[in-house]
Amino acid sequence: MFKRGFLVTFTLTLLFALLVSACAAPAAPPAAPAQESGAGEAAQPAAEEAAATDFKVGLVTDVGRINDRSFNQSAWEGVQQAAETLGLPEENVKFIETQDSKDYADNIQQFVEAGFNVIVTVGFALGAATRTAATENPDVFFIGVDQFQVPGEEIPNLVGLIFEEDKAGFLAGALAGHLTKTGTIAAVLGTDLVPPVVAFKEGYEAGARYVKPDITIISTYHPGEISQAFVDPEWGAATAKQAMDQGADVIFGAGGITGNGALQEVAAAAEAGKEVYCIGVDTDQWYTVPAARPCLVSSAMKLITPSVADLIQLAHDGNWPGGGNYVGPVALAPFHDFEDKIPQEVKDDLARIREGLDDGSISTGYGQ
Amino acid sequence: MNGDASPIVRLMRALLIPVLALIMALLLGAVIMLVFGDDPVKAYRGLLYGAFGSGRGWATTVRKMAPFILTGLSVATAFKAGLFNIGAAGQFLMGTIFSVFVGINFQGLPVFIHLPLALLAGLLGGMLWGAIPGLLKVTTGAHEVITTIMLNYVASLFAGWTVYAGGSQGQTPGPLWDPTAGPISETPDVLPSAQLPWIFGPPYRVHWGIVLVLAVVVLIWWLLYRTTIGFEIRTVGQNLKASKYAGIRVNWTIVLTMILAGGLAGLAGGIETLGVNHKFAPEFSGSVGFDGITIALLGQTHPFGVVLAALLFGALDAGGAKMQFDSGVAADIIQVIQALILAFVAAPAIVRSIFRLKRTPEQVKPTVSTSWSGPG
Repeated sequence: MFKRGFLVTFTLTLLFALLVSACAAPAAPPAAPAQESGAGEAAQPAAEEAAATDFKVGLVTDVGRINDRSFNQSAWEGVQQAAETLGLPEENVKFIETQDSKDYADNIQQFVEAGFNVIVTVGFALGAATRTAATENPDVFFIGVDQFQVPGEEIPNLVGLIFEEDKAGFLAGALAGHLTKTGTIAAVLGTDLVPPVVAFKEGYEAGARYVKPDITIISTYHPGEISQAFVDPEWGAATAKQAMDQGADVIFGAGGITGNGALQEVAAAAEAGKEVYCIGVDTDQWYTVPAARPCLVSSAMKLITPSVADLIQLAHDGNWPGGGNYVGPVALAPFHDFEDKIPQEVKDDLARIREGLDDGSISTGYGQ
Repeated sequence: MNGDASPIVRLMRALLIPVLALIMALLLGAVIMLVFGDDPVKAYRGLLYGAFGSGRGWATTVRKMAPFILTGLSVATAFKAGLFNIGAAGQFLMGTIFSVFVGINFQGLPVFIHLPLALLAGLLGGMLWGAIPGLLKVTTGAHEVITTIMLNYVASLFAGWTVYAGGSQGQTPGPLWDPTAGPISETPDVLPSAQLPWIFGPPYRVHWGIVLVLAVVVLIWWLLYRTTIGFEIRTVGQNLKASKYAGIRVNWTIVLTMILAGGLAGLAGGIETLGVNHKFAPEFSGSVGFDGITIALLGQTHPFGVVLAALLFGALDAGGAKMQFDSGVAADIIQVIQALILAFVAAPAIVRSIFRLKRTPEQVKPTVSTSWSGPG
């Protein structure tokens, strides 16, 4: 009897303590911003006048983790970089991980209500919710990563951060063209239903032909629909193997997990002693797919982190570029283990091509 | 029944296990957060304020509650007849697809015809998907646990096919796919005449479906406890052989209960689509059908208990963003807490032994699934 009474009392006391502390404190802590106080009208003029410490930046992820080693993480690192540059206190920089695609609007709204000045939303899927929120809150700056804004439908306080995938692909193709000994290279791609994938492919082929006009290129798109095309590593592996059987010795994997499957298949062949290389996509896949390291010479990267940091800086300084699209830079990732195996003249040529792409003297031919 | 106990005592007894289960789940959740170096006080405070601390918080809680109530009610109603309906997820999807089909077609109908028609379609889709396992059970003895799980897959693949955007190699798109959506697999928006109107518009986004849902709760309560059909359903659930002996048409009652349960889950899909999403895309399906099982158990399979349990689940969902925002605790902890609640309500013996509760013979004990044998 005593025992039961004790346990019940103990539990209830604990719960009561939790409840009391949960109810009592909201006035005090800095982390609980006053609800609906300045819902939204924090921004434009305030951003310029107020001290840097009043500036707040929030990020809403697509369904998935903040440390996904891909878009969410790169964008978040950009936010953190900007926060460091601007000297923002920790509680002014927050993220919300989206659990369910129905919650995009609710999660964005959390930041709006807390008076955040800049809200970064990551991923194509948040495009519609971001546009709605930007229209409803004209004083808040929105950065939509990978959200193409259709010309003519721009919203002044929303910038879509997009990338020239064809240029990244061109660099990868040039590298592949220099590396191949058999004269045959391959690309294992997500679906051509998604324009950036097509841009990667066209750029890759143009870049390879630029350095080696008579090269043979085996490019294969995933045949399935959009929901399968990027999550089919078995198909990626099988396609990569087929390409290697046909003599390809450099393989570009561009298509999410599907592409990763191709990279791993090539890595296995490289470990077995075959002289084959692979090139990753989007981020430096040296870190995201360690299993690919035996073959991974580089990756065709979209530099999300510095772009997000730059845009936040622009918003803070009152130099917001205005509605529409902001084209972020692309680059090849470091060569890592292959640093010594890549001849200096190849590196020099890649640098020259990079300059040519930047100043317009070299064209990828995509979209023309 | 407890003839001598006052209604208050009976209510207290009914609430005892669910409330203790909730307390245990929250405490264990707090322990988990402490282990990972998070601050549970901050997290729970954020949860509480996210769900109830503002007008929009309340609005979100109420909006999220609506489908939880109906799927919970679906599972609870089946439990009353001793049936374990794991198929609420599939019935929810079929309701969604049927509602969307009516919602995007029939341009030019007035609201007072189009909207009820679209809602009825959702109800019908769910009923159809509930009837199949019911009929299979009485004709072949196939257990509804197995058949409903299988039908969940069928429904999910069927729903995916209807909105399939087609492939790059010229595969045919699904019949409900929106051609303007490009490579995205989704339906067009349902016509305005089939959308549930707002009670409070954006940013609150509370629609009249919630009122409809509460009316359905009262209707189901009345049906279960005040009509002959309800009496037969409950009798079949408590003692199959006795009800057969008493002349109840057991097979008919089982099929009817499954149709009813399916209809409730289907209506949930219809209301969620016509009220909130306004279209269907495969990633919208979520876990609301499976959460119905936890909600039904937590609500002690009583319609009003289900409403309370759905309020809790709606609040957990609605407060999750604010909890992350204030405390940095990942929203996964919400799912952990929900799973712990399920564990504790599904195994009341654990709660009883922890709190040294005596098992009173008159303990309010909800009817859940009975035996694994068929009705024969």
